[in-house]
Amino acid sequence: MNQALIQLLVSGALMGLVYALVAYGFQLTYATSKSINFGQGELVMLSAFFSLTLTNLGLPYYLMIPGGLLFGVVAGLFVERAGVRLALEQKSEGWILMTIILGLFGVSAAENIWGRDDRPFPTPIPTEPMQFFGISITPLEISVALGVFMIMVIIELFKRKTLLGKAFAAVSADRDAAELMGISATRTIMLSYGLSGLVAALAGILVSPITTVGPTMASALVLKAFSVAVVAGLESGFGVVIVGLFLGSLESLTSFYVGSGWREAPGLVLLILALAVRPTGIFGKAVIRKV
Amino acid sequence: MKRVLLTTLLAGLFATQAYAADSIKIAITGPFSGGSAPMGTSMRDGAKIAIAEINVAGGIKVGAKMLKFEVLERDDEAKNERGALIAQELASMNDLAGVIGTVNTGVCLAGDKHLQEKGITKIITPAAGSASMTQWSKAKVKDLSIFRLAAHDGIQAAMVVEEAINRKYTKVAMLYDSTNYGVSGRDDMVEQIRKQGNILQVVTTDKFNIGDKDMTAQLLRAKNGGAQAVLIWGIGPELAAVANGMAKIGLKVPLIGGWTLSMSNFIDNSAKNGNGTLMPQTFIEEPITPKAKNFITAYHKTYNVKRIPSPVSAAQGYDAVFIFAAAVKQAQSTDTKKIKLALEDLKEPVQGVITTWKKPFSSWDPANEESHEAFRRDQVVMGMVQDGHVVFGNDADRKRLISNATSVKGKK
Repeated sequence: MNQALIQLLVSGALMGLVYALVAYGFQLTYATSKSINFGQGELVMLSAFFSLTLTNLGLPYYLMIPGGLLFGVVAGLFVERAGVRLALEQKSEGWILMTIILGLFGVSAAENIWGRDDRPFPTPIPTEPMQFFGISITPLEISVALGVFMIMVIIELFKRKTLLGKAFAAVSADRDAAELMGISATRTIMLSYGLSGLVAALAGILVSPITTVGPTMASALVLKAFSVAVVAGLESGFGVVIVGLFLGSLESLTSFYVGSGWREAPGLVLLILALAVRPTGIFGKAVIRKV
Repeated sequence: MKRVLLTTLLAGLFATQAYAADSIKIAITGPFSGGSAPMGTSMRDGAKIAIAEINVAGGIKVGAKMLKFEVLERDDEAKNERGALIAQELASMNDLAGVIGTVNTGVCLAGDKHLQEKGITKIITPAAGSASMTQWSKAKVKDLSIFRLAAHDGIQAAMVVEEAINRKYTKVAMLYDSTNYGVSGRDDMVEQIRKQGNILQVVTTDKFNIGDKDMTAQLLRAKNGGAQAVLIWGIGPELAAVANGMAKIGLKVPLIGGWTLSMSNFIDNSAKNGNGTLMPQTFIEEPITPKAKNFITAYHKTYNVKRIPSPVSAAQGYDAVFIFAAAVKQAQSTDTKKIKLALEDLKEPVQGVITTWKKPFSSWDPANEESHEAFRRDQVVMGMVQDGHVVFGNDADRKRLISNATSVKGKK
């Protein structure tokens, strides 16, 4: 295989992992509450800005990360409390509009607090490319890949192995039945939004050194992530990784072999195909609703 | 009740008119936020230094009165539709002496027609896209109130291609962003390559969108084609993504392109990957002349910065105000149409920070846009990014500017 092809696949796959991480944030909250934070991209952006502020205050990198993640968790909980909880209690779809509005509010707040400029995000991880069999990868990109896999493995293990994690599955399967078994659905949903915020913050911290930080940094990202989530199916955690990798590589290949103007096309085609052929997503489970 | 309201309104109307006669009301427009903000704010701040200098000295003598400048600021956010709205608002003002500004070619295309309709004098700076002036020659407009003080893309593209040829390159890659600015820059470069004898072979022509971060595909094509330089037309953040992408895939060739490569958001976001990048400049932040030294110190002090975000924009904004002021003085009026006539025939040279402007404009000739363009090739130099600053790319340019400045003084 020629080197250009592999280089394209690697670069594309790395972008794809970032899509997957944002998509994973969608998937986490959907699993418990069948609701999605449409402001997930803004959470990524706000956490990135907050982490940048911590860095500028002189905090070292390893202390900035927990600070940024904590901010993400708090922001996630805030979205749940302010935008989602009441709507869910009333079984209304109001959360759609509320999360979008909270996202828009986040953008305005960021513009007023941090300004509208794109800013570099300092990182101690070297950005010098390393050569592997003629393929260039920067340690920064490797850190993104490692970070994405690590957080997903930890959260998936937590969901599968711990009692609290199993509550996720229970609430997801049947909220009322879970409540009768003594599981607090409200708390489980809160936890899922907190985790979703954590994932968003991690995405912000990981990609900012590559993409720079600005109020609109996540707007393109979040659309791609949404395609990934829908194509993969909102039920599957590892599904989003596979679809993310696939979409990222496909984009990269398209813009090389077809033309740079066609870069966005495969994501949209994939989304249309998935909705037409398999609306539950490739890795989704078709649920039969009994009336 | 109605009558009272009417009288108050009328009184108000007269009050503003009386007030207007005591000042020269000009509008400064540009993107003061977003990706083009370094250019917009530098232009505005440079212009405001000039205005402060004039106002502190008492203003401009028109008739028996000394008139001071009064500034309206409008942020077009680099959005064409915002630009059109602002131009409509300005066109509806009866006491406006003129407009200075606009960074984005698309904004010029969307808004300037409203000003031209009302005959309001505007000096475009620093928008460089060719289309903002060629739109008028193409429409065969007979009388034009729009002027430009910026090294237009025609000059810049010629210099970019010239630089590549001077460096003995034969194969280049061409990249551009998908905005009006990028596309018209690409057309200019293609035209110049043809004009300069087709010495350069373009191995790939690729575009990218505003907000793109991963340029691997475009750059790999350039690398595979054996490009010896990347000729580029775009804006700060994406240019930085290109420079970083080149470092990543090991494409170690110079990036040569439009003057936007001197934007602070390119220099900061590309860090050391930006070193060696070449672009045409009208002003380099180096105190090589006393006038330049004063200006740079004033800017640093007034805005508390160590580096002007976009020195070219700041210097052009500064000079635009002095040229405009000279026209007001010559016209002996704040009437925008009289100022326009004076601009087309400035009797006295204007001491600017870029150069001493001698008859920068002449009467509009639809067959030649240069009649309303202030810059000529020899007022533009090649700049190079070096460790976070833009320095002279060719030392010959530096020496030429110093000797020009001293010879002008000698004549006095």
